[in-house]
Amino acid sequence: MPQFTDLTGLLGVASVMSAIVMMLPGIARLSTLHKGILLSLIFVSVLMPLGELPLAAYVRGATGDLSITTLVLIWGSLLHRWCGFASIDAKQRDVLLKVVALVAVALYPLSLGVSMFDPYRYGFACVAVIIALLIITLTAWIRKSDLIALCIAFVALAWSIGWYESNNLWDYLTDPFLAIYALWVIAFSMKKYFFKRPLKET
Amino acid sequence: MSYWQQQPKHRKLLLLLVAISFAAAFYKAMHHPAPATFVAPVNDQLVGTPKAIIRSHFVSPTQNISTHAASLVDLGNGYIRAFWFAGSREGAKDVQILTSVFDPVYDRWSPEIAIVDRHSTQSDLLRFVKKIGNPVAHRASDNTLWLYYVTVSIGGWAGSSITAMTSHDDGNTWSAARRLITSPFINISTLVKGTPFNYSDGSIGLPIYHEFIGKFGELLRLSPGGEVLDKQRLTSGKLAIQPVPLIQDTQSALMLMRHTGSAPKRVIGAVTTDAGQHWSAPQKIELKNPDAAVAGVALSDGRLLAVLNDTETKREVLSLVVSSDNGANWETVYQLEDQHGQHPEPAGYAQRAAQLAKDTEATIVDASAYGASARHSKCMGQSCEFEFSYPYLIQAKNSDFHLVYTWNRSHIKHVRFSLEWLDQRITELRKEETDAAVH
Repeated sequence: MPQFTDLTGLLGVASVMSAIVMMLPGIARLSTLHKGILLSLIFVSVLMPLGELPLAAYVRGATGDLSITTLVLIWGSLLHRWCGFASIDAKQRDVLLKVVALVAVALYPLSLGVSMFDPYRYGFACVAVIIALLIITLTAWIRKSDLIALCIAFVALAWSIGWYESNNLWDYLTDPFLAIYALWVIAFSMKKYFFKRPLKET
Repeated sequence: MSYWQQQPKHRKLLLLLVAISFAAAFYKAMHHPAPATFVAPVNDQLVGTPKAIIRSHFVSPTQNISTHAASLVDLGNGYIRAFWFAGSREGAKDVQILTSVFDPVYDRWSPEIAIVDRHSTQSDLLRFVKKIGNPVAHRASDNTLWLYYVTVSIGGWAGSSITAMTSHDDGNTWSAARRLITSPFINISTLVKGTPFNYSDGSIGLPIYHEFIGKFGELLRLSPGGEVLDKQRLTSGKLAIQPVPLIQDTQSALMLMRHTGSAPKRVIGAVTTDAGQHWSAPQKIELKNPDAAVAGVALSDGRLLAVLNDTETKREVLSLVVSSDNGANWETVYQLEDQHGQHPEPAGYAQRAAQLAKDTEATIVDASAYGASARHSKCMGQSCEFEFSYPYLIQAKNSDFHLVYTWNRSHIKHVRFSLEWLDQRITELRKEETDAAVH
């Protein structure tokens, strides 16, 4: 009998695989009903055992469980493409990715032993970290950056109820794939910014 | 304008979600267990072996397979259960974790039984598993038997994660395996080797180490249910791995670690005097170490006992060493193995290994099979070497010591000695020192 945290982990991987299929050319032309049927088929096929394991379990072996932030972005995209739900505001998404990139730049090198300081330790129920996240969330809500507020609220809730195997808040907030995506988006926008700037006249 | 900004009611709902989520988060954080003290070593010394004895056996009888990384757990009344991994080669897909029980009445090990392989593990974990290894056993305060082992889905051992399973009948049956999440980087590169220990509140201390890019030791604290409560870094950079805690009392411990840094090659040590809340900066101690695993225990009288390859290069010497001054000075009590400088060609190697097998267990019928098995694992072309590695030492509640280690990557060897033997051996050494000083 699969554990609850295995099901949530596999559903996360299945969500990403579904989002990838929904981005394929021609899918946008399908009706909402047909897209719904397609999504159901994708979920069933990646979660159904192929030999020893379902396809999602092979992917999960390599990726681990995806962060709640990743899932919010994935489901935002999925719902938009499937049933026309309002798309994620690009500006808010970019701010969120900047926050993720900032966390990643500190978290991953330090977790690989750069120094004796290990920020990952403070993800195991550190009150100061939770207070900091609450301040960020409320600030985001006041400034109407609702995507950030929504993401962090889901992160806090998922961690509290033990949505995944991990007992560490950082694993719910970010994952290496989201961090790579965030850094890539930031690098791309910086390149665009500098490329478009007019040269100063001398 | 985003969807949320156009829907003021939904913004209020969002605020409600924030309130609920953070209330739950604060509740969880407030109920996080407080730091606890160590459970100090206590030995009943009632039913232990009353004589000064030292005996050795082979735990694993199977020939011509790669066998490695044994650990032990006390079952009580002198019975001991061992775990190790074996397969066609280290890291092969056919590797299994095997177990056997030592019967003190008949002075022998039971036939080995496979309890885990990569198929059963990936079926339990619902994720692909390429290989398994390094089983480490532990008895928790509530009497549950825990077995921790590493699993790899991608890459080599540096890509390991820790998997745990439990038994409530001393290892006859096991729960489904569960994954421990210990690293933010796809949960890779956390391995086990050192001896776990108990905290006074029932939580478990599990020494772990990291091998991807950096090489460093860490300490996990797990709840009695197996939830990761805390992770503490013991070293950083590429200095040391495989920490082994020697718990001296409720507050003090010495952590010995395998040195992976630059010469001079020495065991790395760190101490705590506040039950592990703070550890001293890691530093080299006097014991030599050729980048090889160390084992050790603290005795209830404060002495420290360790087993290691006390050379700077190879694993062909294995020594039992003792310290009576909290690890400042160590002396060799007994040479468990010494094949220093012995590099015979394959035929001579097999012959010598067969003799060593016979010395280990006089009742072995076909010692040459052990010799051939060692040659199978340790000879490459015309080059052969002896290896005695990955020691794991415990003191049973009856005060007897049990040591297991990898014997030429082909068998697991068990050495059992009594506290009386240890004391007698130390007395003999003192006498020899006095005699030498006189002469």
